[in-house]
Amino acid sequence: MKLLTHNMLSCHIKGVTNGFPFKIEATEVSETEADYDPDFLRHIFPRLQWPALKEGAESLGVTGLPDEVTEELLQDEDFLKAFHHALLEVTLQEGALVCPETGRKFPVMKGIPNLLLNEDEC
Amino acid sequence: MSPFWYLTVPSEEVARRICERTMLIKHMIDLWGEASTFEELQAAIQACPAHKRAPWGRAGTSFKIVVDGWGNRIEMPEQVKLIERLAFLHLQVGFPGRVPGAWEGGALEPGAGYLGPGSAWAPGNARVDLKNPDVTFRLVVLDNDSVDNGLPHTVHKRWYFGREVASSKRGLINQYALTRRRYLGPTSMDTEMAFIICNQAQVRKGSLVYDPFVGTGSILVAAGHLGAYTLGADIDIRVIRDGKEDKRGERVDVWANFRDYRLQPPVGLIRADAHRPPWRDDLQEVLDAVICDPPYGVRAGGRKSVKDDSVVVDDRSKHIVTTDPYPMGECVRDLLDTSARLLRCGGRLVFFFPASPETYSEEELPAHPALRLLANSEQPLTSRYSRRLLTMAKVKPYCAAEAARFHEEHKDTELLVDQLSALIFEPRRDNEGNLVDRVSNKKKWRGKAV
Repeated sequence: MKLLTHNMLSCHIKGVTNGFPFKIEATEVSETEADYDPDFLRHIFPRLQWPALKEGAESLGVTGLPDEVTEELLQDEDFLKAFHHALLEVTLQEGALVCPETGRKFPVMKGIPNLLLNEDEC
Repeated sequence: MSPFWYLTVPSEEVARRICERTMLIKHMIDLWGEASTFEELQAAIQACPAHKRAPWGRAGTSFKIVVDGWGNRIEMPEQVKLIERLAFLHLQVGFPGRVPGAWEGGALEPGAGYLGPGSAWAPGNARVDLKNPDVTFRLVVLDNDSVDNGLPHTVHKRWYFGREVASSKRGLINQYALTRRRYLGPTSMDTEMAFIICNQAQVRKGSLVYDPFVGTGSILVAAGHLGAYTLGADIDIRVIRDGKEDKRGERVDVWANFRDYRLQPPVGLIRADAHRPPWRDDLQEVLDAVICDPPYGVRAGGRKSVKDDSVVVDDRSKHIVTTDPYPMGECVRDLLDTSARLLRCGGRLVFFFPASPETYSEEELPAHPALRLLANSEQPLTSRYSRRLLTMAKVKPYCAAEAARFHEEHKDTELLVDQLSALIFEPRRDNEGNLVDRVSNKKKWRGKAV
């Protein structure tokens, strides 16, 4: 799972109101190369929750992302490369997504988070 | 209906760019002549303006001629004979005479410099190159009359000749052939259709594309080839996470397919329920396309999670969740609603929708206030069953209240298609009560023999 996906997900257990963002417990992290496309990054940026991306990156061992992103930064090659790396290349292979409200752990195996709810959570 | 269409395009460049993407066009041909008989075709070609033909006979130009049989099969000896009959071309087309370069200098009038009658088919200065010709001529023989394949003879014999301007990349169908793909399921989308779906959805480099019923990833593979970032979800953990063993005993899964094709892996594969999707509430306008083949219960039934407070979960890591059947109307409603929310304005939803030709009416097509139907293309499968590829575009921002109101008002229109499985598989009786269909006595559960 890439952090782009992490940024889109929230805990959807019935009754949970603050299910975003998932805390990440990482036991295995890998990197896969993805196509670098500055236009895509600038297009997707306003749709992301930046603090969640930064926090998620840190829990996967990627540091150095700024607290805030300005228009100028979105034109800056070095920043875009780092943004691209965090968003699309770092991959959570094994671990768990933890609901910030209930602490329920959704396991991640082979890069795939299992987000199906149990009968008592629907 | 003829398999050929006349098309006027602004330039050859435009024709080439269309062919870069299209799957349903084979070639675009600059037509030099057409007729009902070969003799008339010859006259038509000879009447074709010389300026159109001349540039392709220049000194040093290499060419080849391809004979295409449509609705029939033309054996190689017959093809050679037809090519030989085209020998008149270099007499009349204005291929230059024996002075190299004479034509290029513009010194020769069109029609001048004929090689003279009786010359063999070996043009003076243009040479044959079967592998890498500068120009390909196509002699197309449409002949359905002499073949009896059970189809009605709706078009009559027709000859066409012209210069190929562009060819589509139908080689992709072979490159991504399912027969050589390592991870497949019973409902993997065939390659050609997967690319057609992506074209309908306008998937391009840098698009973010989502398949909520990803299965073995067969539709996303095509999107990946086109340079999209792909995202998939499925409720069946075995299909997306566990995969299968291939012939050599190696574990294969969706990731393996993308790896084998050297495509960038999906940005996310998640196990989730399309009925209760785990997207954060404020997530909107993020996807460029949603493409999928939802499970309609004809070959593979849909499942959804279900609330049941009587179930006590002791250990969530080992608990196996029960699921309920996912009625088709509900499945499609969820799909449209999720798409209307997550697509950017102008983004597209493309999916298959089953229909029974016997009962189909436009009334039963799904709809959503934020989506507009752009195309509805039927693919007949059996006499009782066809599927329709629906293409929708998001035409305005998503409004939850409006969507809820709309669904409330349009509740019952989709009920008919929920009986689809019965409509297709139920044995029928004639007036005297005798079975019309052959009936298998094998027991089935969820569509599979047990």
